[in-house]
Amino acid sequence: MHNPYQTTTVKILKIEDEGSRSKLFTLEAPRDFTVRSGQFVEISLPGYGEAPISLCSDPSVKNKFELCVRKAGMVTGALHALKVGDKVGVRGPYGRPFPAEIGKQRNLLLVAGGLGLEPLRPAIWEIMKNREQYKKVQIFYGACDENDLLFTKDYDELKKKIDLHITLDKPKGLQTPVACGTGVVTTLFDHVKLYENPVAFLCGPPVMYKFVIKKLKELAFLDSDIYLSLERRMHCGVGVCNHCAVGSFFVCQDGPVFSWAELKDIKGAI
Amino acid sequence: MTHAELQKFIAFLMKRGWTVFAPEKRPGEVVYAEVQDAAKVKLISEPPLHSFKRFLVPPEETLFEYEKDKLNEVRDAGIKIPKQVIFGINPVDLKAIVMLNQIFERDPWYQERMRRTLIIGQSLIPADVEHNIFQIKYEEDILEHLQFDIFLEVQPLTPARNASASVAGGPTLSPKGRGAEYFVYTGSEEGQSSLEDFGYEDYEHIAFAGPIREEGFDPMMVKYRDALRKTYKKEIWENDIGARCIECGKCTLICPTCFCFDMKDQPDLVGDGGVRKRAWSACFYNDFSEVAGGHKFLKTTAERIHFWYYHKFVRIPDQIQIMGCVGCGRCAKVCPVNINIFKVLAAL
Repeated sequence: MHNPYQTTTVKILKIEDEGSRSKLFTLEAPRDFTVRSGQFVEISLPGYGEAPISLCSDPSVKNKFELCVRKAGMVTGALHALKVGDKVGVRGPYGRPFPAEIGKQRNLLLVAGGLGLEPLRPAIWEIMKNREQYKKVQIFYGACDENDLLFTKDYDELKKKIDLHITLDKPKGLQTPVACGTGVVTTLFDHVKLYENPVAFLCGPPVMYKFVIKKLKELAFLDSDIYLSLERRMHCGVGVCNHCAVGSFFVCQDGPVFSWAELKDIKGAI
Repeated sequence: MTHAELQKFIAFLMKRGWTVFAPEKRPGEVVYAEVQDAAKVKLISEPPLHSFKRFLVPPEETLFEYEKDKLNEVRDAGIKIPKQVIFGINPVDLKAIVMLNQIFERDPWYQERMRRTLIIGQSLIPADVEHNIFQIKYEEDILEHLQFDIFLEVQPLTPARNASASVAGGPTLSPKGRGAEYFVYTGSEEGQSSLEDFGYEDYEHIAFAGPIREEGFDPMMVKYRDALRKTYKKEIWENDIGARCIECGKCTLICPTCFCFDMKDQPDLVGDGGVRKRAWSACFYNDFSEVAGGHKFLKTTAERIHFWYYHKFVRIPDQIQIMGCVGCGRCAKVCPVNINIFKVLAAL
């Protein structure tokens, strides 16, 4: 019988600093590995355990993939101590991705808070690589300060093809690759005119969802036009252990991406 | 099958290398214990406080052994148990097995255990369970919706059916006219062949027809699922049981259907090796929903106890269309603050 918890051992190909608190790991891809926006892998470091980490790389790159990891617990702490050439275990990818293909028929509004830019990045790169197939795209990105901005080296390229807006909650007055506003991500809704009738993809902390969904509802977005990715504790990744249960959904399998129509009646979903 | 024959059959299984676990009456409680002497095996209507659960879903089990960064799957070697017989499981607990069989249908360790397990059910349902709000009675037609290898239908001592009758008595009159103490059913090939190898052929085979009856979904399942899905009664979750529950987790340990688990690594004290384990978890515990950075999605006792009920009465029904509670009442027996699941359900 297939063992759902067996990992594939892969080599770390590259490690770069990403913002002041995260590292971007480039890993060798297991056979037939595919990247879709919002999906995650379980990273295994024997002796430390496993941690679910979102995929953040360009889906068109086939032989390697990237994970952007902030040191926040035991596994991520151990991961930060590794060097190029070291090996990690990986299983997945798991979960239902953002429906990026909707962007071929409808304008898109991507709203990211903090680390929430990571799971959206594969969709952003899919759009960038096939720009002519997609309608108009806006990105609203909020970070704490200049040092927390992720993927800054992408911005020059992004700006050419996507309407990118960044705001900083507590700016330190440092130089940034693009001009940043001040305030939480919802402030952007007061300054920026949205494209016509967009579908929204959200990724960020629960508090961001509360405020952004309120804004979107004021702007008459349908519940089914709002997609968001939920974070939960995960152990098995295959819909059995119940740590990630939200209502009758398992975030690891039925999510992590849900439409607001699916979640709005579930107590404690956000 | 007479009781003497049954004891001989158990002795036969033991001789063939099976380890047999059977309910045993000890002062103050009934426990599952390994049978040393088949001649002492009895059928007891009072179910063991600790159910069969640990034999199929052990408190802790090794999934992998690792050496540096390589995980080696542990399956046969990890299950360091001989072939086991779990004897005397009543229809209420058999329902829990039906549920677990579905939850773990793709789990190689559970399936391996099941392959090494012979389940012998029996029809005695204790009076307190018969009279709780689920009103579970033994009727022959539930057997096709239960999973077992062998099932012993206890025959009454007199022509009038009396389910709570003792089986220790002398000659009996059976409604099926066989003069036997048990009518024997089989539910698997393994059950059939073990009986035949022993030399007993007077059984009836029942093919498993799935957990759901022809009439449709269990109306109790539908009733509680809909009530819990549609309403949130603050007076129950926050003011009553959420305020009383002390989050000890006893109900999750004792529940035959609670199966939530953690996965964790345990390094050897010396060297680069260790094991990756799976262990029982409880949604009442503080870190059950905690993510990196310390945020907890189940913050209060009320949220946690609601999560426990929601799992049994909504999530499992949504997933597999059967109730995630079998009505055994063990949780109410062990609760130190007298939370009674039947009273909670009645208040929904």
